[in-house]
Amino acid sequence: MNTFENVLIIGSGVAGMEASLMLSKAGKKVYLVEKLSLIGGKTIKNEETFPNMDCSTCLVAPIQQEILQDQKIDVMTVSTVQKVSGKAGNFKVTINKKARYVNIAACLGCGMCYPVCPVEQSNEWEENLINKKAIYVPCSGSLPNVPVIDADKCLRLNGSEECNLCVEACMFGAIDFTEKNETIEIEVGGIIVATGFDMLDVSEIENLGYKKYPGVYTAMEFERLFAANGPTEGKLTLRETEKIPESIAIIHCVGRKEVGYCSSICCMYSSKHAQFLKHKLPEAKIYNLYSDICVSDKTYQKFQKNVAKHSSKFIYRDDKSELEITQNDNKLKVSYQNNKGIQDAVTVDMVILANATVPSNDIELLTDVLQIEKDKFGFIDTQSFRIGSVVTSKPGIFVAGCAEGAKDLQSSVLQAEAAVSQILSMK
Amino acid sequence: MSDKIGIYVCECGPNIASKVDIPKIMEEISKLEDFKDKELIIKNHKLLCSVAGKKFLEDEINENKLTHLICAACSPRDHDTTFINVCKKTQLNPYMYRIVNIREHCAWIYHDKDVATEKAIRYIHAGMDRVMYQNPLIEKQLDSIPDVLIIGAGIAGIETALTLASDKRKVFLVEKTNIIGGNSLELKKLLPKQGISLNGLKQKISDVKENENIKVYTNTEVESIVGFLGNFEVVLKNNDKTIELLTGAIVLANGFDLFDPKEIPEYNYSEKDNVFTSLEIEKMYTKDGKIILKSGKIPESVALVHCVGRKEVGYCSKICCNYMLKIANYLKEQSSNTKVIDLYKHMCLPNKNDQMFYDSTVEKEVDFIKVTDVSLKGTKVQYIGIDEAKKDLDVDMVILAPAMIPPKDTKNLAELLKIDTDELGFYKESHMKINPISANLDGIFFVGAGRAPIGISEAMIQAQAASGKILTQLIPGQKIIPEVMVSEILEAYCTGCKTCLDVCGFGAIYFDEDKGISIVNEAICRGCGNCVGSCPSGSIRTKHFTNPQLYQEIKEALR
Ligand SMILES: Cc1cc2nc3c(=O)[nH]c(=O)nc-3n(C[C@H](O)[C@H](O)[C@H](O)COP(=O)(O)OP(=O)(O)OC[C@H]3O[C@@H](n4cnc5c(N)ncnc54)[C@H](O)[C@@H]3O)c2cc1C
Ligand SMILES: Cc1cc2nc3c(=O)[nH]c(=O)nc-3n(C[C@H](O)[C@H](O)[C@H](O)COP(=O)(O)OP(=O)(O)OC[C@H]3O[C@@H](n4cnc5c(N)ncnc54)[C@H](O)[C@@H]3O)c2cc1C
Ligand code: SF4
Ligand code: SF4
Ligand code: SF4
Ligand code: SF4
Ligand code: SF4
Repeated sequence: MNTFENVLIIGSGVAGMEASLMLSKAGKKVYLVEKLSLIGGKTIKNEETFPNMDCSTCLVAPIQQEILQDQKIDVMTVSTVQKVSGKAGNFKVTINKKARYVNIAACLGCGMCYPVCPVEQSNEWEENLINKKAIYVPCSGSLPNVPVIDADKCLRLNGSEECNLCVEACMFGAIDFTEKNETIEIEVGGIIVATGFDMLDVSEIENLGYKKYPGVYTAMEFERLFAANGPTEGKLTLRETEKIPESIAIIHCVGRKEVGYCSSICCMYSSKHAQFLKHKLPEAKIYNLYSDICVSDKTYQKFQKNVAKHSSKFIYRDDKSELEITQNDNKLKVSYQNNKGIQDAVTVDMVILANATVPSNDIELLTDVLQIEKDKFGFIDTQSFRIGSVVTSKPGIFVAGCAEGAKDLQSSVLQAEAAVSQILSMK
Repeated sequence: MSDKIGIYVCECGPNIASKVDIPKIMEEISKLEDFKDKELIIKNHKLLCSVAGKKFLEDEINENKLTHLICAACSPRDHDTTFINVCKKTQLNPYMYRIVNIREHCAWIYHDKDVATEKAIRYIHAGMDRVMYQNPLIEKQLDSIPDVLIIGAGIAGIETALTLASDKRKVFLVEKTNIIGGNSLELKKLLPKQGISLNGLKQKISDVKENENIKVYTNTEVESIVGFLGNFEVVLKNNDKTIELLTGAIVLANGFDLFDPKEIPEYNYSEKDNVFTSLEIEKMYTKDGKIILKSGKIPESVALVHCVGRKEVGYCSKICCNYMLKIANYLKEQSSNTKVIDLYKHMCLPNKNDQMFYDSTVEKEVDFIKVTDVSLKGTKVQYIGIDEAKKDLDVDMVILAPAMIPPKDTKNLAELLKIDTDELGFYKESHMKINPISANLDGIFFVGAGRAPIGISEAMIQAQAASGKILTQLIPGQKIIPEVMVSEILEAYCTGCKTCLDVCGFGAIYFDEDKGISIVNEAICRGCGNCVGSCPSGSIRTKHFTNPQLYQEIKEALR
């Protein structure tokens, strides 16, 4: 068998999806492995994307649909890569496909099963802003629109009760408790790693009050709070107080010093957040606290300037001195050193931290399995002195998107397209 | 052959069945007055999109020899392709089928079952009226040429050529100067960790020259290009010689120019002073091995001015903060006594390794001063710091980082190819986010500084990305299947007013001077329908979206 005809793609964000579709068009058989129960990656967490404020769903859903309908793409959700042996042109890959306990072919996505489930657990896909059941889809609009059962939490699967509620609710007989975790062996010629990113845990940074003061949010929490399909259906009510904020401070470069690089996207999404806020809360006072503005694609500066003109007051803060957030009477005081070297402060109801983009949290497991090198930050390293920046330390394995370093959508897509060319010219 | 119309109503489990009255729908449809002479086959199914449902549909089409098919089911976004694929397995032309959405449009939006049922009947009737006016369309297959023309032999063009050239694919690399390598060849050193060393670049240049599947044309420019993905006719001009080529795709790699500092009055820029652009410094250091004043002396103090022309052009050039750090390093390695003052507005370090480079430059005792404004009189510098204080600075040498701008050729080439440029003058993406190096016309791509200011490693990624697009779209020996639902101009009605030529964003319409009419090139047309609405004599129609088809459907739906 000629395994050059098969390709493994790990991660189904914009990068993984673009690579999958292109390779399938080129006649390859594609195995697309995604650890979550849905495909689409982080982009589907965003309501709109900078700078043109395209609706993310409108951008990504047609691509997701195309992938799910493509006969040459084998989409494996709730799956991870467990073992890889062999070499370029002839990798043997073991994939651990967890039981979903819902038959994808039979389920219509009607949503009758989850309201009846008695279990409540935190929904980490929604940044823990809301709960989910033991049987769930991470958010409405998930694709494939098929729930998954959390075997640890389901009363029946973890053996604590004879629960049968979801089975009774499902009119299609789609729930199948006999499903087993599977181990699948495949052979592929090349591999693309497109496992994306995670966000820096800011509770480790002192003086920011994250997790201590309910009004302090991370950027991704805010994306979900703002999203129409998110936990509040887009209502900007603050946690605990349920109050609608009248003043908001957006802090740039959070954790930049700690990680040692600029994440390159946060100035833009922080400007986007200011615009979001202005649209929904026209009366609110909005501040963006920055030290440098990094708006490096051709249309970005115009967007940011526009936000600075109409939506938010951009305030310089000296990053040589630490920023501190304290709370008093439900008001958050953000203290910083201003352009004259003087200690200054803004007092607000809500703070949004633009926290650094970091390597995905299980990257280590994957780089061990693939035996490829990481850089000093933990992103996948590229052999830049050889052919270009999608080539990893191991021949036949390529990287695309934020798995290689923080970047915006188009740069992620470009790397995917580049990785495709490398796969197609392998021999 | 007499008409035989199959109408299949999907229950979608309880989704449709519980919200509309399916037996009533079937009953009413069977009694339609305007179909009483036609043979109707009306059936329901529990789940048409399931494996069993698709098999059922396939058998029904074949056994009944259907001439028209209606699937009354869900949104076309969900299952239009599913049923088209079923048709493709049978003798029924897929353009003789229509999906009718009785789920999202009927079942799911009404509390009142009767209203939903009534609307569903009407929708199905409208679909039936329309399908009777549909015509079979046949996919065409066109031969395609796998070879590729690349315009510009900088690093982006070179990398594209090397990625694409193979025994089955020739590459024509056109360069207007007498050497290949572009601006990168002027650089003394490259930024750390960025894709390619200078030796690597030189290696690539010699790889290009040795590759027998790459034909390099130096001192050559493009004179004309006409055609479409898979079939472009190219004419090149080399001095007085013209060269004709056939290629399947075009890659634009014509690089960048630098903003002219003379355009900023506050800089009082003159070549006579010891004020240099960054590129002049690179060239000087490459050629002479040193960075010196006009007097021949090594400067004792140098001011680096960032963002020159940034305000005027309206964007950040992304790479200049980085290369200014590199130039600061040049100056310090030449003489650690040289005082280097870096006047920046925002330190833009977007790649993961940039911050390290900045930190190491700070350690070499380069002074970084954040400013909001700078003006010059020769090498007398005045700036306003972030603290709003105005300060004077007298130095031996000033180095400017001018914005990277689109070269004039970008406009010319875009006009020649009828592709779009954006408001800044760069090539415009087919979609900025999800199709970032494809032009609005199929088969044309742009790489390197043509899309936006960019460094070498990103230029190389784009080169590989364009190659990826071409490798998946132009497979040697494989035919191209153009869009089927294209427009056509009815010769008898066309008055030759040429209105449609301007409207078509894809350059699909050409004018036949002999006949005095416009003609659609079906290989290029995307069936967007823009021309249809623009034609004053109503002589254009888009296949599968004809006026009678739409009229029939709307007439019933709005009755
Ligand atoms: C708050 C915020 C807002 C943003 N807004 C914008 C914007 O408006 N415009 C814009 O251009 N960009 C924006 N971005 C950047 C954008 O999100 C990224 O460029 C994009 O998501 C990168 O896509 P990707 O495919 O590389 O990774 P991801 O989207 O992260 O996708 C990676 C996928 O891989 C899966 N995965 C991870 N590890 C494994 C594993 N071990 N095995 C199997 N699967 C795995 C993940 O579950 C995920 O589905 C924003 C980023 C943030 C943080
Ligand atoms: C001072 C300075 C320092 C820099 N330092 C670095 C650095 O250290 N690291 C880094 O990554 N980047 C650096 N850059 C950026 C780098 O130069 C560009 O990223 C790179 O040159 C872009 O390559 P390109 O192939 O797109 O364009 P170019 O290098 O501009 O090449 C374009 C080629 O096309 C040819 N051409 C133009 N028009 C036509 C036409 N009509 N027909 C045929 N041929 C045509 C040109 O003659 C040229 O050969 C620096 C830039 C400057 C100005
Ligand atoms: S069986 Fe499990 S998933 Fe289903 S309702 Fe009960 S607890 Fe929830
Ligand atoms: S499992 Fe059953 S009840 Fe749940 S969404 Fe799927 S079809 Fe509906
Ligand atoms: S993109 Fe902006 S906010 Fe993010 S690290 Fe860079 S400079 Fe800071
Ligand atoms: S990269 Fe730096 S010098 Fe260049 S325009 Fe951007 S901020 Fe200014
Ligand atoms: S339908 Fe659109 S693409 Fe086709 S000729 Fe008319 S305007 Fe051009």
